[in-house]
Amino acid sequence: MGNDQNLILHLKRRDKKALSSLYDKYAAALYGVIVRMCKDEQAAENLLQDTFLTIWEKSETYDFEKGKFYTWAFRIARNKTLNFLRTPNRLIQTEDLSVYNDRTEAQNNDIDQYKLKGAIAKLEVHHQKAIELVYFNGMTHREAHEEMDVPLGTFKSYIRQALQELRKLYGHTIAFLMILIEVIR
Amino acid sequence: MMDKTYILEENLLERYVLGELNAEEEHQIEVALNKFPELKDELSSIEANIESMTFENAIQPASKVKSQLLHSISNRKTEVIPIQNHSSKNPYLVAASIAALFLMSSIFLYSKWNTSQEQIRIVERQNYELNKKLDKLQKDNEKTQALFTSINNPDTEKYVLKGNALMPEAKLISYVNDKEKSVIVNTAYLPDLDNEHDYQMWADVNGEMINMGIIDTNQEMLAMTYIDYSESLNITIEPSGGSDHPTVSKLITNIYLK
Repeated sequence: MGNDQNLILHLKRRDKKALSSLYDKYAAALYGVIVRMCKDEQAAENLLQDTFLTIWEKSETYDFEKGKFYTWAFRIARNKTLNFLRTPNRLIQTEDLSVYNDRTEAQNNDIDQYKLKGAIAKLEVHHQKAIELVYFNGMTHREAHEEMDVPLGTFKSYIRQALQELRKLYGHTIAFLMILIEVIR
Repeated sequence: MMDKTYILEENLLERYVLGELNAEEEHQIEVALNKFPELKDELSSIEANIESMTFENAIQPASKVKSQLLHSISNRKTEVIPIQNHSSKNPYLVAASIAALFLMSSIFLYSKWNTSQEQIRIVERQNYELNKKLDKLQKDNEKTQALFTSINNPDTEKYVLKGNALMPEAKLISYVNDKEKSVIVNTAYLPDLDNEHDYQMWADVNGEMINMGIIDTNQEMLAMTYIDYSESLNITIEPSGGSDHPTVSKLITNIYLK
C-alpha cells in the first residue's frame, strides 16, 4: 500500500484512473463493512457507490498528516451507512422500531454469510463480539456496551485488549509479508 | 490538554479513528498526537488493525457498482472540473463583482445626489420668488395702510374732480390733508390715455400753476406733491413725461379747495 500517496495525488487532481485503482484496492474491504452494517445488499451497493462519489468529490479535503487514506475512506463509508440506518424512512421500510435490534437480528439470520474471518475469528468470544459491534455493526462504545450488557468500563477494556491481541496477530502477518516482499524483490 | 493515559484508557484514539468524537475532542486529540510520538504509533497501529481486519473480511461487491460509479463521475465531471479552475479566478471574480457593485451604487448615489441638488435649486428659487412676493405684498400693505390711515384722517378733505366737456367720463378722487401736507389721488375712474400722453396735476397758487406731478394711471392710489397755499387742483393732458407749464387748452377738470 506504499504507492497510495501517488494515487491519491492523482485523485486530488481528478484523475479518473486513480479513482478506479483505489476502488479496485479498497471497495471490497469497505463493502464488507457496509453490507455487514446494513444487512441489505441493494442498499450496501448504493452506499458503496455513494462512498466513492464522496471520496472523488471531497478528495481535496483528505489530509495525509491526519491519517491513512483507507481510514478516511472507512470513516466515510461508516458514517454514510449509519446515516442511512438512522433515517426514519428506513425504520418504516423494515417495520422495525429499533435500528440496532434490526442489525443484530438480521446478522443472526445471515450468520454464515457475514461471519467474520481472519484474526478476529481467533479472538476470545467477548473480544470478537466487542470488535464486531464497533467495526462491523457501526455502534458507538456506549451503544455496544448496552448491547453486550456489560459496564462501559469493561467494554472499553475489551476493545483495548482485543486491539492489542489483533496487533500481535497482525504483527506476525506483517512480518511475514515483509519477508515475502523482500523475497520477491 | 488531554492526558496521555486518559486518552489510552478511554480508547479515545480508536474513537477518533471512527469519527465518533466531537470537533473539540478531535482537536485536543490532534494536539496530543503532535506532542506524544507514542500516541501517533498507537494511532497507526489502530489504523493498521482496522485495515487488516476489514481486508480479511472483505466481500466483493457486484461489478455493476464500479461501472455505475465511473459512469456517474463522467456525468459529474463537467460540474467538478470547473470548480478547480475557478479557484484561481475566484479572487478576481469576487473583486470584479465588488468593484461592479461599488460602481453601480456610486452611479446610483451620484444620480440621486444630482437629483437632490436640482430639487434644492428649484426649492431655493421658489423660496426666493415667494420672499420677493412677500416683500412686495408687505410693502403694498404698508403703503395701503398708510394711504388708508391718511384718508381716514379727520383732517383729510375729499374732493372729486369731474371731467369737463373735453372728457366728461373722467373722475378723480383727491384726499387733501393740509395739516400733514399730503395729497392722495384715486385714479380708478380716469380713462387710459395713449402712450404719447400723460395726465398731469397742477396746484393754482396766486394764479400760478405749480406742478404736482404726473398721474400714473397704473397705480390706483397715488401720492402727489403737496403744494402750500394751493387754491385749486387742476388736471391737464400733457405729452408723455409731462410739461413744465400746463397746456391750458387741455385742462380736463379742476376744483377749488376749501
